Parts: sequence; structure tokens; C-alpha cells
Amino acid sequence: MARRYWNINLEEMLEAGVHFGHGTRKWNPRMAPYISAKRKGIHITNLTRTARFLSEACDLLFDAASKRKQFLIVGTKNKAADSMARAAIRARCHYVNKKWLGGMLTNWPTTETRLHKFRDLRTEQNTGGLNRLPKRDAAMLKRQLSRLQTYLGGIKYMTRLPDIVIIVDQQEEYTALRECITLGIPTICLIDTNCDPDIADISIPANDDVIASIRLILNKLVVAICEGRPSYIRNP
Amino acid sequence: MAATTAAAAALSSLSFLSPNPPISFLFPKSTKPFFLSGSFRSLSLSLAPPRAKASDIDTAFFDDLDPEEEVVFDPPTPPEGFTPPPAFDDGPDETEDEIAAAYEELYGPAYSGVSVLGNDVFVMDSKVKKTSAFGKVKKEKVRDGFEERVVQVRRVTKVVKGGKQLHFRAVVVVGDKQGQVGVGVGKAKEVIGAVQKSAVNARRNIVTIPMTKYLTFPHRSEGDYGAATVMLRPAAPGTGVIAGGAVRIVLEMAGVENALGKQLGSKNALNNARATVVAVQKMKQFREVAQERGIPMEELWK
Repeated sequence: MARRYWNINLEEMLEAGVHFGHGTRKWNPRMAPYISAKRKGIHITNLTRTARFLSEACDLLFDAASKRKQFLIVGTKNKAADSMARAAIRARCHYVNKKWLGGMLTNWPTTETRLHKFRDLRTEQNTGGLNRLPKRDAAMLKRQLSRLQTYLGGIKYMTRLPDIVIIVDQQEEYTALRECITLGIPTICLIDTNCDPDIADISIPANDDVIASIRLILNKLVVAICEGRPSYIRNP
Repeated sequence: MAATTAAAAALSSLSFLSPNPPISFLFPKSTKPFFLSGSFRSLSLSLAPPRAKASDIDTAFFDDLDPEEEVVFDPPTPPEGFTPPPAFDDGPDETEDEIAAAYEELYGPAYSGVSVLGNDVFVMDSKVKKTSAFGKVKKEKVRDGFEERVVQVRRVTKVVKGGKQLHFRAVVVVGDKQGQVGVGVGKAKEVIGAVQKSAVNARRNIVTIPMTKYLTFPHRSEGDYGAATVMLRPAAPGTGVIAGGAVRIVLEMAGVENALGKQLGSKNALNNARATVVAVQKMKQFREVAQERGIPMEELWK
């Protein structure tokens, strides 16, 4: 796999605050190799290692995108939900930015049923079928539609299980991570000092609290995906 | 980098995730310690003698890792005329139509309900199960070469305020007779439903049995699950399977012809079936052991 230049700037990361970890008392000792110092009761992650992992993750995403793999970005922190959705739309990937329903991947047939229902409701809304129903039924259907839109809006183009899953916060998306592991889907995860680096396949030690740091890392990954897509060579 | 080449190789074979995915992973566990050492020093993947197996606890993580070591991050030089691409927020705002068109180009209209590029919106309808068939739609009986045998069907009760709720619990062993078996449980209100559920469950946990060419085990082994202990012993050809109940069914479905087995602890059928699976997983072929220890196979028979 060729190593490419991803414009990973250590000064940029310092500005965004990627190197801050959580408080000293809440750390996971398995993160010891990635922590470089302890300042004012907060662990500081080693940015060179972060940069290394980030560039490797970007290379992987580039190659996967050039082979037309499907990605899923999972991030449900309410602060970062908006920027996450925009990043995913920019990269043309599936995303989950509201609550991650349990069994979304392991119980894929049921999720598909919901997606069918979502699609039928959308078509009905477009053709104006909702106006012909009595007010109560129409209100119920509209409520269902809005619910499905918030939870499944990001995966409405997903026809099968994704090939790579990017998870923003390991503590919060633990169920998602577990599901990917049972299904054998490779994962890229943003790890903070209180997370376990061995669970995900590629773990990028970074700060998951500050929006700037999430945006920076997501930006790099999204750029990698976007660059990879046009270089798809159709295999004969 | 070495492990990420393995990643790329694995990804190229990840064309479609089947409903029963093999839990063989993107990174086989044995490369995990090598992965990080590889990224820090770009070692080649071959480390000297074959060490602890992938199934052992991964304590080798910190062996090669020196936390004090200075890691150098040297990215390749930027190509000439490199301008950093705009962040995902800064770029021009796309209209919804453009976004929908781009997504549709990539994935087809799928479940979006609208089609900007003129594709058929109901393309995913072939996945909906046909609910209009008369009675029960018959599923194909023989699927993918696995034979099912029911070990035990029990009627279990849950007592609620209104009375007793009866369910049936079926324990089924699934196997081709070539060394693959799986044990599954399923509960349903009817026996047939329970048997089907347990067959599905069994197909998800399939293990391979190491067998010699005389269709017997390489060596003795004991396995336990819960309170059930099972002892398995190889036998000379012509012996047949001499074991009781659940153990016999598991061994027969695996294709083992000659073996001795004994249930030493509890006689619970499900736990004994699971214990045989555990016992069988502990077995190793002579070839593997010789390779691990780095000695010729003749030494093992001395």
C-alpha cells in the first residue's frame, strides 16, 4: 500500500487540542504507550503516534475507496452530530448521528424492514397520499416519518452491511463497536485516554471531547475517502 | 505498514459479507503485536521463531514496545503545488438535489424514496419476503451441505399471572460429515419452529475438528462446559463411536468414525454437547505442534 501525503500537520493538531486526554484518574492503563506526559491532572497523548496512525488510516481509506467499498461513520455525541453529518455527506458515506439503535448491523434484516417502511412513507408523502387520510392517521404517519428520518436518515442508501466503520467515540459507541466485531467488520476508532486501544482495528489516539479535534480528524479521513473514489479502476 | 498490507489484502477479498460471516478477522490476532511494532519501526512481518499462538492471551503486546522510545513521524514529501483541500464545512454548499444525485450515483436509489437520476425507486422490493403465499412457504430442506440432528426437545414453562406459558426448547447439532460441527439451541412455541431456530443458531457457531486419516482424533482431550465434563479418546479403526447421548451425536455429525467418549460430570445434554465442542477445540494436529515447537514430527512419537 503506497504511503501518500495527507497534510497532517502537528502544529495544526496542537491548535485543535487533539493532544488533550481525559483526567488522570480516568485513564485506561492500556493506553500507556500512547500517553506522553501528564500535565495539570490531564494526560497528554503522543502526537507523533497519532499522526502515524492517522496517516495509516487515511491510506487504508484511500485504498478501500478506490475499490468501491462502503463506509459507515458513527458518532452520536450531540455536540458533534451536525458536523459529523456534514462530513459524511461531503464524503458520500452512510452515517449515524443520532442514537445508534441496538442491532442495526447484527439484526440487519429488521433494519431493512424499517428502511422499507421509510421508503414507502417517503413515496407516499411525495405523491401526497398523506393528505387523503384522516387527520389523526396522517399525524401518526408524519410522526413515524420524522422518527425514521432522525434515526435512519443517514443510512437510507445502504443496501448491505458496510465494509469499514469509522467510530468517533469508543466509550459512547461501545455497542456499535461490539456489533462490528461480532460481524467481523474492520473498524477505525478515535480513542481517548480512557478507552481500550486493542478492541478496534485501527485506533487513533485523539481527543474526543473538543469539536475542533473531531472535525480535524474527520476532515483528514473524509479527504482520504474523496481522493480515493475517483481513482477507481474497473476490473475487467 | 506490514499489517496494513494484510488489511488491504483482506479488504480485497471482502467483496460481500455473507449472512454467516466467518469470524476470521481483518487482522488475524497474531499480527496485533506486530502491527504496532511494524508501524513504529516498519519491521518485516517475519519475527524469528514462531512464538505464542494467536489463541493465547495477547500479553506480547508490550514485549517489543518501549514507551520511552522516540517515534519519528516522517510523512512523505508533499507533491509540488500541493494545496490543502477545503474542510468539509468550508466548501461550497451543495443543494439537496446535488447531494441526492451524488449518493444515487454511488449506491443506487436504495431506500431513499426519491430518485433524482431516474432510477427505479422500488429496486429494493425484491428483498421483501412474499407474505402472500398460501400457508407456510416451504424453505428448502437441504441447505449448504449440513445435516441436522435433534439432540433433545424439551418443554419448558414460564409461570405468569395468567397461568403457565409453554415453549419448546430444541438442541440441534449440525454438521457435514467432514469435520465441521455446530451446536445450537432455539426456543419457540412449536417444536418445528424451535428446531429451525436452533439450526440457524448452530450454523453460526461451527468449529472444525482435527482428524487423522483413520477418521479419529489425534490425541486424548477433556473439555468442560458448566458442570459437564467430557473425555474423548482416539480409537483404532473399526471401533466405531462409543459414547453416550449428546456426545455420540456430535461426533457422528462431525464424521468421526472411531472414538471413545465419556460424560464425566453432569448428564445435561446441551452442556455435554458444548463440552465436546470445547474438548475438540483444544486438540491440535501433530503437524501443528511440530511446527510450533520447531522439532521434527518423529520426536513427538518417541
